[in-house]
Amino acid sequence: MNTVNPGARPGSRKPPGRSSRAAALLFCATTLGLALPPDSAAATDPAATVERGRYLVHAGGCLTCHTADRPDAIPLAGGRAIKTTFGTFYAPNLTPDRSTGLGGWTDADLRRALREGVAPDGSYYYPVFPYPAYTGISDADVASIGAYLRSLDPVRQRTPEHELPWYLSSRLVMLGWNLLNFSPARFSPDGARSAMWNRGAYLVRHLGHCGECHTPRNLLGAVDKRRELAGNPQGPDGERIPDITQDRDSGIGRWSTDEIVLFLEYGVLPDGDFAGSSMSAVITDNTAHLTAGDREAIATYLKSLGPPAHLP
Amino acid sequence: MRRRALPALIACTTLAIPAAAWSATAPADAIKYRKAVMSAMSAHVSAFMLVNFGKVEHQDHLKAHASALADLGAQAKVLFPAGTDKGDTDALPLIWKEQDQFRKLAADLEASSAKLRDAVAANDKPGTMAAFKALGESCKGCHDRYRKADD
Repeated sequence: MNTVNPGARPGSRKPPGRSSRAAALLFCATTLGLALPPDSAAATDPAATVERGRYLVHAGGCLTCHTADRPDAIPLAGGRAIKTTFGTFYAPNLTPDRSTGLGGWTDADLRRALREGVAPDGSYYYPVFPYPAYTGISDADVASIGAYLRSLDPVRQRTPEHELPWYLSSRLVMLGWNLLNFSPARFSPDGARSAMWNRGAYLVRHLGHCGECHTPRNLLGAVDKRRELAGNPQGPDGERIPDITQDRDSGIGRWSTDEIVLFLEYGVLPDGDFAGSSMSAVITDNTAHLTAGDREAIATYLKSLGPPAHLP
Repeated sequence: MRRRALPALIACTTLAIPAAAWSATAPADAIKYRKAVMSAMSAHVSAFMLVNFGKVEHQDHLKAHASALADLGAQAKVLFPAGTDKGDTDALPLIWKEQDQFRKLAADLEASSAKLRDAVAANDKPGTMAAFKALGESCKGCHDRYRKADD
């Protein structure tokens, strides 16, 4: 059970080769440009980059984990306990404080952390931090996120140590885990799909990392990509996370695109109930802040998914 | 008249004693009633959205749904009497441990649903959207902290 305090929140695969990556970037820049929030000036105007970073930090769901679960918590200063089947993790401080936060981090540090799961000192992150999803984030988006995080007031707030069983206490364990379960790769747009669908795929699979909660995990705690978004009976904090595939019974196959959009904006289900539980914080911190176009892109992507594969 | 009134009066007073005893609602019935009111609210929200977001016509029905939500929203504060934390309910015991905060959220619901009714009555579209968002925030805020997560 997630106990987010209402009102505590602010405001509110396959790795492409070199040439296909370049083509993908070009595709991103040209085709996806329309679906993105205003960003054309971002490359030159620092204020616009920061503003775009603020938007991406919402869309990336950073606030939900990196803000402590207290009414007076400072956004992004860390400290929230995340209880998982592998132990309790504490989300670190993302403000630019030198001793307890990200003070002094370069864009290269942030790229490596977000997309490879490696800290500036070379140590490995645990995949409770969704780098397996964030690995798809574009260079431009990482740079904007970095600009925004550096613009925050530094907050000196030490993050508690993770509480983990002995076999996970060494971060080196993650080297093996990564070899088995993780391959870094930028998002590669599907040229056969619309710009709207591709934007949705980028938000759902990578930046918004929906599958980190909604996709079941294997025994090693890795997301089971064959069953994308099919729900997780053992989600964070022991919560049962629902199936959001297009299965008409277990999933959201009966929801229209517009109903998904309304849910992401207001938290209202088609039957008029309002989401409680951890999704409530996701709506407040993330999806309610998105542009109408981005919410529609997410809904478009979700509507395109078939029912989950029934595996033995 | 007077002759007939006396036995009626006696009957009334004798009946009043057991009637007073009966008036204590069984917790199970209070829980059923609470669920019925909550279901009625969600049904009105669902209907409200279908009209408000242009999925069906019937603009003239919007007032009825908004007024019903304001009336029912004002009832929420009395739907959680002591003793209704156990039984067939998703209401969490925290409600009765944090009465001040819970009452504040119930007051938020009453205020936001009244605003929605007023905005609809005034045919104020932006006001209606803002009030609907605020109503959602009160619903979510309370469900988030005080309703059992789906399990």
